[in-house]
Amino acid sequence: MTATTPSGDVLGTGVQGSLPDGATPVARSASGGPSGPSGSKAPSTFRRTMARREARIGLLFALPAFLLFLAFRFGPAIAGVGLSFFDYTIGDTATWTGLDNFERMVNDPIFWSAMRVTLILSVLIVPLSLAISTFMALLVRRSFRGSGFYRSVFFLPVVTSLVLAATVFTWVFSTGGPWSQLMGLIGLSTDSWLGSTTLVLPALALVSIWSRFGYGMLILLARMQDLPRELEEAAALDGANAWHRFWHIIMPQLKPTLFFLAVIETTASFQIFDLVYTMTGGGPARASYSLVYQIYDQGFKYFDLGYASTLGVALFIITIVVALVQRRLIGRDK
Amino acid sequence: MTMPKKHVVTAIAAIASLGALTACSGGGTTGSSTPVPSDGAASGSVTMWTYPVIADEAAHKKFWDEQIAEFTAENPDVDVKVEIYPWAGRDETLATGIAGGKGPDVVYLIPDQLPKYAKSLAAVDNYITDNTGDLRENAAKSVSIDGAMMGAPLIMNSKPLVCNAAAFDAIGESGNYPATWDDLMTLAPKFKDAGYDVTNYWGAVDATLNESFYPLLWQAGGSVFSEDGTEVAFDSPEGIEALQFVTDLAEGGFVEKDLLTTIPAFEQTRTAQGKIACTWQQGPGDVASFWGEENTVVLPSLKEAESIGYGTVGSLALMKKAENLDAAGKWLAFATRPEASAEYAKAAGWFTPYTSQTGLYGDDATMAALEATLDATTSGDLNEKSREVMGILAPEIQAALIGQKTPEQAMKDAAAAANPLLG
Amino acid sequence: MTTLATPGTPGHPGTAAGTTSPTDLTPTVRRKRSKNSGMDLTLRGKIVRYVVLSLAAVVTIFPFYAMVVLSLKPAAAIQFPQSLIPTNLGFAAYERVLGAGNIWTWFGNTLIYSVVSVVLVLAFSAMAGYAFAKKKFPGREAMFWSFLAMVMVPYHVTLIPTFILMAQVGGLDTYWGLILPTLANAQAVFLMRQFIMDMPDELFEAAKLDGASEWRIFTRIVLPLCKPILATLGTFVFLWHWNDFLWPLIMGQGTDHWTLTVGIASLQQQDVPLNMILAGATISFVPIFAAYLVAQRYFQEGVTMSGIKG
Repeated sequence: MTATTPSGDVLGTGVQGSLPDGATPVARSASGGPSGPSGSKAPSTFRRTMARREARIGLLFALPAFLLFLAFRFGPAIAGVGLSFFDYTIGDTATWTGLDNFERMVNDPIFWSAMRVTLILSVLIVPLSLAISTFMALLVRRSFRGSGFYRSVFFLPVVTSLVLAATVFTWVFSTGGPWSQLMGLIGLSTDSWLGSTTLVLPALALVSIWSRFGYGMLILLARMQDLPRELEEAAALDGANAWHRFWHIIMPQLKPTLFFLAVIETTASFQIFDLVYTMTGGGPARASYSLVYQIYDQGFKYFDLGYASTLGVALFIITIVVALVQRRLIGRDK
Repeated sequence: MTMPKKHVVTAIAAIASLGALTACSGGGTTGSSTPVPSDGAASGSVTMWTYPVIADEAAHKKFWDEQIAEFTAENPDVDVKVEIYPWAGRDETLATGIAGGKGPDVVYLIPDQLPKYAKSLAAVDNYITDNTGDLRENAAKSVSIDGAMMGAPLIMNSKPLVCNAAAFDAIGESGNYPATWDDLMTLAPKFKDAGYDVTNYWGAVDATLNESFYPLLWQAGGSVFSEDGTEVAFDSPEGIEALQFVTDLAEGGFVEKDLLTTIPAFEQTRTAQGKIACTWQQGPGDVASFWGEENTVVLPSLKEAESIGYGTVGSLALMKKAENLDAAGKWLAFATRPEASAEYAKAAGWFTPYTSQTGLYGDDATMAALEATLDATTSGDLNEKSREVMGILAPEIQAALIGQKTPEQAMKDAAAAANPLLG
Repeated sequence: MTTLATPGTPGHPGTAAGTTSPTDLTPTVRRKRSKNSGMDLTLRGKIVRYVVLSLAAVVTIFPFYAMVVLSLKPAAAIQFPQSLIPTNLGFAAYERVLGAGNIWTWFGNTLIYSVVSVVLVLAFSAMAGYAFAKKKFPGREAMFWSFLAMVMVPYHVTLIPTFILMAQVGGLDTYWGLILPTLANAQAVFLMRQFIMDMPDELFEAAKLDGASEWRIFTRIVLPLCKPILATLGTFVFLWHWNDFLWPLIMGQGTDHWTLTVGIASLQQQDVPLNMILAGATISFVPIFAAYLVAQRYFQEGVTMSGIKG
């Protein structure tokens, strides 16, 4: 790609430099640690005492949150990871079984099919949802009569519970429901998408995108509104058409934000549960049986907490790996 | 002040895992598994969890308040508390409760749940000896694991065949109700031509097979597990025959398609709209308000090799770790005595597992007919892995129904996946 | 930088303003004329935009419309599209849902759960955010990044260990047991850190030189400056707690400690008519919706910045 990100403050507006902070929290923090206090060089004992005092105060301020995390996040998470080395069923004692659960997982065809479903689902959701979010953000980014209304409307699904959305959409997708009739109108089969092994994931992806695109749209909107107009105007005067202006000017500047969104959307798509639970129960014929669903089944239906934890560890690792890959692909220059 | 990062992390890990492991061992297997009631009066507090078995919340509360009052009059030192939990998330609530050592003392369970919780339950045989004299044999069997009763049957229901007289009138076959699979298959095309489904089949994978596929399996003469429970038996010729039967229904377009994969709200289904001839998956109580009382006909379960249907038994189970086991056991026995059972069953629209308590609904012919089918029911084999097996089998059945696999292949694949679990 | 430097890329003829070369114009002139530059939509463009937006809005709103209309209809089979016409409406389903005795207790519990959590999450995350952003102390980086990694641990894996912990310390059936574990909020700490990092250090240095204590600096300088982010974060935390179901369900062992979501679920039989499900959904949605209308901006920013939805 020839049009790289304009590196900083081309037009001397002073806006650019402060841009990434608010709009792209993850992208920014990913670039490194917090900036330390001022770089003044005064190697005196006073300086050192001050530093020690600062450290003590810092610890004190972080302490309440740290204790809460220790008790309610790390503890349970480590217990969860620890359980993956045990054979533990509710009501029974836990016995150490080493890597048995992991061996079972690798040889479990249901695990691999759940993995496949999970990955397909996010491949369907993430790019499309980013594209729709970007498109809608472009449409409403300028103020015009009604722009506020549209923004609010598009954001409404984000504040709605997924269980509620799933209930309504089960009906929307039923045979004879709105979606099936729409398909009939354009000459396609009127069979329910939820009953087809190939169309069930697209159906779930559509609902998921419906419930989340407003979120991506707003993040992108926040970023777009910070972009200097001048660059685009200059390009417009140079005769670049809308698509060119978008692809070569806006898009490069959105990259960090898109990376942030991609990570968030991927993590979210990996953990979609309520939708599948309410709409398909993992069916038909396990075509929408995702990894979280398997974790749920093993843990709460079969009470096999050891194995459920093993699957949880697998999901955790995949999430991290995908986030790192995405960072390499999209977020490199930020 | 310079504690290396590594040490901090290690320390955290150590503390956390220690806490986790001591906590995990909380579900130990101490205590007698077949407790014997004491002679004296029991004392202490007892907590029972139940679910909205009686739809009317106020009536449900009132029932238990009255029972508690009566029980406390006899056992003044026992403090009973009944909590009515939502159906939603009931296994999550109970499982976490037990895992954390904070479960109930007595809980309402159905046979399907019993094997899963068996390790945490105490057998109730010795507490309910006064009640079991006229307990139906199949009800007793449905709560028994290895010869011990893990729950005290409280209420019972039956899912025989229920037909819609209006549908039969509409195709000019008034009163010609099916008794066998063949009868049903013969009628199917006639109904289809007139815009009716001959029956329904709830195939969504999270719907229990107990009410959908297993009755057919039993009717064909098959069973889910082998005699000793060490392997599955659904891949027998009988099992394949049963699956072939449903597959034929699905492929012929004789059942509502959406139900094969999703669970819509009931009133949205063709079943509720009266566009169906017969069902073994809804009771008369479910359909009468849609079809009209006069059109709701209760019949014996369909027959291939034998006529048998699914029977649910709601039971009260005793937690092994109940703080006041004796008090809990006595309360459980009191709450499931035939008179209480009859009253509870009637309020819930169910029946009792006791032969002494029949004719609950007076002249109501439908209910009487339903009650008459109670003995021709089973709740299937109680196997510790029955849910896992269901979780494996249901998607394979679905695959056959939507034409992805042949019934033979589906059963073969399901058995191959399920057998290693049982071993 | 090709597009910027090359006027009129071949194959893409210039737009309305394309006749003028950019070098001819001073920045001032360009800015003045920007109202009429090639970026503004033609009338046709505007119409197309309205059409596309309105279509998207209809698709977005449709499920909400369906929810409300169908919840007001009698429990009968839905015919599409006839059933969506708002006739024959009634509140029967609502009466059944709201008729339950405990609804106000549940409402109160939900308020306590949500409001107390919001206040405490804001307090703790602001303090930690300040420390992570502006103080150097050993283990800071490790601590911070391990906070964040916790977001990726699947919920169902930690649920039981957390419950066991709370059960052992006697937190079941208590407000503190319900609230405490939900206060460890990585996203909140993260956002506060981001926000405070952008504050100039000189602010604090000056106050320090004046002899202000750290606590004073925090409460008098940091917190007031954090108002916008506190508002957005607060709405987000509120939303999450308001919609939460599973945690209140397993922690509140008794109807007295249930929240609205749990309570409404408990009223439902296994075969609930769709209109009752939707009525229950609408009831728990209405307060959120009202709050959304009032504090739209905060809602949008809150959810946007925190990265998960409730």
